[in-house]
Amino acid sequence: MSRALIEPMVGRYMRMPILGEECRVYFEEAGQGIPLVCLHTAGADSRQFRHMLCDEEITDRFRVLAFDMPWHGKSYPPQGWQEREYRLTTERYVASILAFCDALELDRPVVMGCSIGGRIVLQLAHAHGGRFRALIGLEAADFQAPWYDADWLHRADVHGGEVCAALISGLIAPQSPALYRHETLWQYMQSGPGVFKGDLYFYRVDADLRGKLGDIDTARCPLYLLTGEYDFSCTAEDTLRTAAGIPGTKVTIMEEIGHFPMSENPEQFRSYLLPVLEEIRAG
Amino acid sequence: MVELPSPCPPLEGKELWLQVDRQDQAMTNATDTARSEITLSARFESAIPARVNTDAHLVWRGRHLNTRCLIQIGKTTFLLRIVAGRVEERRTPLPLMASWDFAIRGSASAWHALWQAPPPPGWHDLFALSKRGEMRLEGDLHPLLAHLQYFKDVLSLPRTGAES
Repeated sequence: MSRALIEPMVGRYMRMPILGEECRVYFEEAGQGIPLVCLHTAGADSRQFRHMLCDEEITDRFRVLAFDMPWHGKSYPPQGWQEREYRLTTERYVASILAFCDALELDRPVVMGCSIGGRIVLQLAHAHGGRFRALIGLEAADFQAPWYDADWLHRADVHGGEVCAALISGLIAPQSPALYRHETLWQYMQSGPGVFKGDLYFYRVDADLRGKLGDIDTARCPLYLLTGEYDFSCTAEDTLRTAAGIPGTKVTIMEEIGHFPMSENPEQFRSYLLPVLEEIRAG
Repeated sequence: MVELPSPCPPLEGKELWLQVDRQDQAMTNATDTARSEITLSARFESAIPARVNTDAHLVWRGRHLNTRCLIQIGKTTFLLRIVAGRVEERRTPLPLMASWDFAIRGSASAWHALWQAPPPPGWHDLFALSKRGEMRLEGDLHPLLAHLQYFKDVLSLPRTGAES
């Protein structure tokens, strides 16, 4: 790099109540047009969307917003967090997303979430479909089989950041550029103690959506599911099975991509995302 | 209650030859598997310990690691003794009354796929393989989980040089 470059996104803090607790939430945004709210994966933060926030082909038509969930990134946990174990529930997750959209008075935004964000997108389609212009689930399924014991993520005799990153490292496609692979791992290394595990409570215990998604109306709110072929946590089969139960869902299996499309291989991901966004814009 | 298999009727003519063909095929497969294990074991031995101990940063990352672990490739077993991140000893076959902290046991297919460049989807990580039943992680897993990326990197060393 020969000279300094200031990127176009702006970061701000917003105070808003979530389930009756005052939360100070950090978010970044760039662009103008249709609001596009991006939800990061478990145990990570909104930096995962940094490439989309700088992509003029997206920000010319969409107002891209990405916030750190409370407990994540630059959003503190609410007061009193030290007195209880963190566990993300479906109720808390939905309340956080709706609070963010309401606080910014977003008019029928598009919501795109990855992993746990993909799971909650299915719940939003099920329970709040009328509020959204379209929903995009990345690495999303109604359920997926666990592949490790989550107790290893939070114990005093194993470094949480190291083990979280090492576990999820296998979910990144081998073709993803080393720079972005290690940025993605760094997000996990920086997560607070027990936060990844607490997010997985939602994923593994609280939000098994099998058999609960039959009433989703994709004519009212289009639903897109995109899953990377190297994701062995939410497999292509998991996503295809989920989509088969929701008439009208549009599915894409992405080649040479794993569990973190927007973060691990932004160039490859945008080749799949741009047509989806164009269809939503034109719709 | 266990259902017993019904006795097979005697085979004649074409059926008999098909049976013989299947036996030949089974023998061929067994021979291929054995050859594959020999090749895979040779790749493992050429990479470990040499390419661990000459990688100063990898050894540094394992500086607090002292353990004995068993690595199984098909039916072939290796005992590794790791001291401060260096693989000080690699034994095969196992010495009498060998003991270890944990074992990573994979089928020949698992290691073969893992060491391709790039490995195919669903065969590209220790946990992808364990999820599909091609690999088992057993024993006291603390040293493994506390140094998981170290072990993933060590066990992917035989991939380097593989043909795309």
